Amino acid sequence: MSVPDLLNHVLHTDLPRSVQIFAPELVLCGTIVALLLVRMFDAHRWLPTSWVALFGTLAAFVGVFAQFMYMKTDGEHESLKGMFHFWGLTADGVGTSGPYFTGLLTHDSFAVFFRIGLLLFLILVEALTILTGIPDQDDGQDFYTLLIGATIGMLMACGVNNLLMLFVAIEMMSVPSYVMVGFLKGRKVSSEAAFKYVVYGAGIAGVMLYGVSLLSGVLGTLSFPELGSRFALLMGDSAFTLSNPTAVATILGIMLILVGVAFKLSLVPFHFWCPDAFEGASAEVAGFLSVASKAGAFALLIRFALAFQGTAPAVQTLCLIFGLALGVVSCLSMTFGNLAAYTQTNLKRLLAYSTIAHAGYMVMAVAAMMVILSGSKDKDAAAACVSGLIYYIAVYLFMNLTAFAVVAFIRNQTFREDIDSYNGLATGGAVTKLVSVCLLIAFVSLVGLPPLAGFFGKFAIFSSAFRAGSVHWFLWVVLGLGGLNTVFSLFYYLRVLRAVFILPPADETKPVEIPGMVGAYVVLITLPILALGMSSFMGDLDATALDVASQLFHI
Amino acid sequence: MSPDIYIETGTTLKWLLTTAWLLPLAGFLIEVFGGYWSGRKSRAAAFLAVGCIATGFVCSLIALLTWLDAADLNVSDIWQNPRAVAAATHEVSEATHVDHEHDADHAADAEHHGDHEHAVPAHSEEEHHGHAAHGNNPLKFAFNGTFYTLAKFGRIQITLDYYIDGLTVLMFTMVTFIATCIHLFAIGYMSDELTESYEDHQVHLPGGKHFHRPGRFYRFFSFLSLFCFAMLGLVLAGNIFQVFIFWELVGVCSYLLIGFYVERKSASTAANKAFIMNRVGDFGFLIGLMILWTWFGTFQFANTNPDQTGEQGLFQMVRTDAGAIETEGEGLNRVAYMQSATGEHLLGNDGQARRIPYWLLVVAGLGIFAGCVGKSAQFPLQTWLPDAMEGPTPVSALVHSATMVAAGVYLAGRFFPMFTPEVLLVIAYVGAITAFIGATIALVVTDIKQVLAYSTISQLGYMMLAIGVGGWLAGLFHLITHAFFKSLMFLCSGSVIHGCHHEQEMTKMGGLYKKMPITCWTMWIGVVAISGLAIPITLPYLGAISFSGFHSKDAIIASSLSFSTLNPTHSLLFFIPLITAGITAFYMHRMWFMTFFGKPKDHHVHDHAHESPWVMCGPLLALSFFAAFCAVGGESGPLANLLLTSEPTHVAGGVQAAGELGLTLPSHHEIHECHSQAGMMALLAALMGTVVAYLFYCKQAVDPALVKARFESAHRFLKSKWQFDEIYDSMFTRPVHVVAKWCTGFDREALDRFLHSCASLAVGIAQWDRKFDEAVVDRIVNVFGEVTYAAGRTLKGVQTGRLRQYVMFIAAAVVCLFVVLFLFLPR
Repeated sequence: MSVPDLLNHVLHTDLPRSVQIFAPELVLCGTIVALLLVRMFDAHRWLPTSWVALFGTLAAFVGVFAQFMYMKTDGEHESLKGMFHFWGLTADGVGTSGPYFTGLLTHDSFAVFFRIGLLLFLILVEALTILTGIPDQDDGQDFYTLLIGATIGMLMACGVNNLLMLFVAIEMMSVPSYVMVGFLKGRKVSSEAAFKYVVYGAGIAGVMLYGVSLLSGVLGTLSFPELGSRFALLMGDSAFTLSNPTAVATILGIMLILVGVAFKLSLVPFHFWCPDAFEGASAEVAGFLSVASKAGAFALLIRFALAFQGTAPAVQTLCLIFGLALGVVSCLSMTFGNLAAYTQTNLKRLLAYSTIAHAGYMVMAVAAMMVILSGSKDKDAAAACVSGLIYYIAVYLFMNLTAFAVVAFIRNQTFREDIDSYNGLATGGAVTKLVSVCLLIAFVSLVGLPPLAGFFGKFAIFSSAFRAGSVHWFLWVVLGLGGLNTVFSLFYYLRVLRAVFILPPADETKPVEIPGMVGAYVVLITLPILALGMSSFMGDLDATALDVASQLFHI
Repeated sequence: MSPDIYIETGTTLKWLLTTAWLLPLAGFLIEVFGGYWSGRKSRAAAFLAVGCIATGFVCSLIALLTWLDAADLNVSDIWQNPRAVAAATHEVSEATHVDHEHDADHAADAEHHGDHEHAVPAHSEEEHHGHAAHGNNPLKFAFNGTFYTLAKFGRIQITLDYYIDGLTVLMFTMVTFIATCIHLFAIGYMSDELTESYEDHQVHLPGGKHFHRPGRFYRFFSFLSLFCFAMLGLVLAGNIFQVFIFWELVGVCSYLLIGFYVERKSASTAANKAFIMNRVGDFGFLIGLMILWTWFGTFQFANTNPDQTGEQGLFQMVRTDAGAIETEGEGLNRVAYMQSATGEHLLGNDGQARRIPYWLLVVAGLGIFAGCVGKSAQFPLQTWLPDAMEGPTPVSALVHSATMVAAGVYLAGRFFPMFTPEVLLVIAYVGAITAFIGATIALVVTDIKQVLAYSTISQLGYMMLAIGVGGWLAGLFHLITHAFFKSLMFLCSGSVIHGCHHEQEMTKMGGLYKKMPITCWTMWIGVVAISGLAIPITLPYLGAISFSGFHSKDAIIASSLSFSTLNPTHSLLFFIPLITAGITAFYMHRMWFMTFFGKPKDHHVHDHAHESPWVMCGPLLALSFFAAFCAVGGESGPLANLLLTSEPTHVAGGVQAAGELGLTLPSHHEIHECHSQAGMMALLAALMGTVVAYLFYCKQAVDPALVKARFESAHRFLKSKWQFDEIYDSMFTRPVHVVAKWCTGFDREALDRFLHSCASLAVGIAQWDRKFDEAVVDRIVNVFGEVTYAAGRTLKGVQTGRLRQYVMFIAAAVVCLFVVLFLFLPR
């Protein structure tokens, strides 16, 4: 193919399709520009930047939703025709799965589903910040620019199809996060946390770049779809042993890249930033980081892991090692996260360790997927792993958001975040009681007790690990440890609930009064925890997740 | 009837009767909270109960008219010209009884015989035409269906069904009408319960005081409503299991109502006695149910829906097209074949014809009948009914004379197709014995309600006897007429008791006819009706001049006479009821004369006696009308014709030498032949009884005391109720006490001692276990907790907060992972 042909293809075929798919992200970019312009012309006094951000995000959300519905119904949905038309969706563009932007990113319903989730979460976080007023009027544009910027990075991470894009996406998620952690400028803890986070992140970025260069050097490509086949080609018939330089170099490269992903997922032993950053950041930011960046990173991890599919024995062995390594990391994270959470006195710090533990649970699903792929050709079982993970992330979104939102709201009332300040919270006003019950629901769901949604998410992941155990026994060990960890986790969650419901309030404090709007918000984000565990929505979400996951495996 | 009209009629009837059935339940659910919602002095509960049952009566009445219309029984035509109409309808076979007049002169009218011969084929043709869809339907018209499925076990299921035929509709109308009258009566009778502090004169507290309690007016009516619901449910039930459910429910209601004055020892004992004796019968019922369930796999009576090709009902399985039980073999090896919808043998899953051992069929029938024995107070379980008179009089009238105790007879009639000749013979003998025992005891009792109670037992025996000898119509005919005149007499006795301030002993009454004329003469109607008195003159279209009881009792005597003619070995079955008829007339008149005539024996009672208020007299008048005229026209009258629409088909033609015993059941024709003869004998017996009673107690020509002294031992025997209570006491109660004593001794001496030693052993082990727990288990748990907590604290130490270390850790962790990876990689 000659250069002009290539250019023609890029300009006339690839670009329109790419822009069509990328439109929601472009809307977000436009929102950022609008935010900055509003501030520049001092319009933020009568046009609050938070509303600009919220409006832009809603528009982007509608765009992604239109894409999702278009893919689901092949553009046949009667009542949404107008919306499809507005977003210029075509069968060649959004209607077709496959790479875009000359193969840097890829488009399929898996990516679209994650993007819907991320944008929904962004809307909820923006609503939360409006309610808590954490960025004041003059800071708003900065905060929302960072927030939306980080989200664009995560949206890109969902469709990563290239090693360089992997690095770019992770950095795009991370850099705004560093600033957001340090956003409470006046507080020393906050600045310190941001500083630690930046330096730690920079170190990790370096390690990850080693990995990218090593891998691309060995395999001669950056494109995900070619990684597995190139590796198989290079290995030929030779066995996967230490003496084989290709194998060793590849595995080293993969490991170094995984270090970067593990950093974003705050997996042990690359979690050190997490408790400090969460403690320093405001609860809203911590909540955002704990859910959104994790969701983006998981999408990315799954894409990266699936790059090494193949039927060649060497690839199979690689898959197995990949899966087992993730299993080890999963064990470490679960155990470390839960045990270290025991002695925490700061609720945000406790939740930071809780997110570490939950990342451990979730990575178990990816480990199970890789192990299943290595041993059998059972793509259905692998798809079930992914769908379980999707379900868990969806549930986790609401559980963690509820927990952090309550922390933020209580902080607004008491200006404290240590667990002792929650003593006797339930003795407060009516709205406070309601919020306490919501906190109870979120925490019990985090423990994973039926009939709340958390139980079913955990159950899905554990059952996929159980299935993977028949391929390699180690996953059964992981599963057993996971069960044990669920018991461990009970103690520290209940410690908080004990403070809220059983312990008497301190004498000198006056009962906490929470505004009604806030109560409504907390109830709104708590309801899905109940609905996804006890209503038909559970089946709906499960079916959609399985559908999405199946497309990932081209079933 | 075309299928469309059939289904339409069935649906109409279903909803009407369901409404009538469920209304009392709704009433009960509200009334039971009467104590909370309205005061003790409010009559609201009574009005609600009356409203519910009266609406139910209206529904039943509409249903009755619908039925008459559907069954081509035009009442007005029958009134005008019974012969012509009967011949025109498909009930023509019963035209045999057109000649119902009982004067002997007309008995052997050849023309009527000609009618009969002609009628039978016409009938069967009509039958076949109307119900081509179910060839072996032993029934003429019936509507059945399912309300609700209770449980499903594979193909077989337990359901709540309805089964509606002429008998159902008639029972509904009768029950709701009598219940309405009795509810109204009870408003007056129970009015002294309308108080915050009711003084129960029959409960003596230490210190010579009487027991005081809040009034229970609302409670009484809520129980009555519940009873009505249960009774109607029993009648509407479409399968034998559902019958059993409501059977037990009426039992519970009866228990609650007998024990209404629960503080009286006698009342609570009587309630217990009634309940326990009924359980004895129900044990048999359960055995019957189990046999039916096991062998037939269904409880349904019959499946009559023309569109439905589903399961056959019990009656259809047992009887062939012609209504016979198809058997094979002899003795214990005899088996009965089950019939399919197409008139062939029903095939099982293995392709073999399904059969049931004949003796099991007999046992099943006897089991079901055992239930009837308990409920209808038949020999040998009759002793609970007199004691049940401890309940308020309206209860005695409704539950213990007209409806619940008649449920046994109703079930025997309903289940008639399932009964083999052997079972029928048992039923007949039990009925005859019961009739005789009841009547003889009624001769000597002096409590006005007891007389009526024994009379009820005796009359129920009559009904059973009729069913047993193949007089299906006679038995159920008597059930209806008896319900009217017996409830009337009970209400009259209630009126007397109310008027005499709760005095029940007839020996203290007398001469009340001037004080309470309405009660006196309405009761006279009842007495004449039950005695079976008539003026042997025939009027055109109306038959003999007589009240309802004459017609039905006459039918029973005729059935038994014809049965004993066909089976000479069982001629006792004719003489007992005949003698009993005379005794009945005697003791009923004795009661009436003793109460209302002669000299007042207790002036205190007499002086204070007064006629009851209109709310009580009104129902008496209404009931007396029906007691007098409900059976007008006798066995060709509307009532009998209506009943005949649901008579099992095999009854009309009789049965020749059937079963192991070779019993012959009389056909309608044969019964008719001896009708006049039997009627005359019964009338003579009744007249004799009446005259003797008149001489003894009104004219005082003979001093009863002298007779009593003459037959001292017989009197004592009767007075002690044939010693039944004593026999049962020594046969069952005392042995049970002895055994119980042994058991207690065993319990105390052996079991308790063993258990105590076990307990102390367990305590000893537990103490050791506690030590083990504290020393080992607790310590392990504590150590585990401490270790995890310490681990947590240690891990916290890793998080130093020093950035330099963190970055170091990145490098260290990466190197560590390398090492681990290379250690495990294959070389």
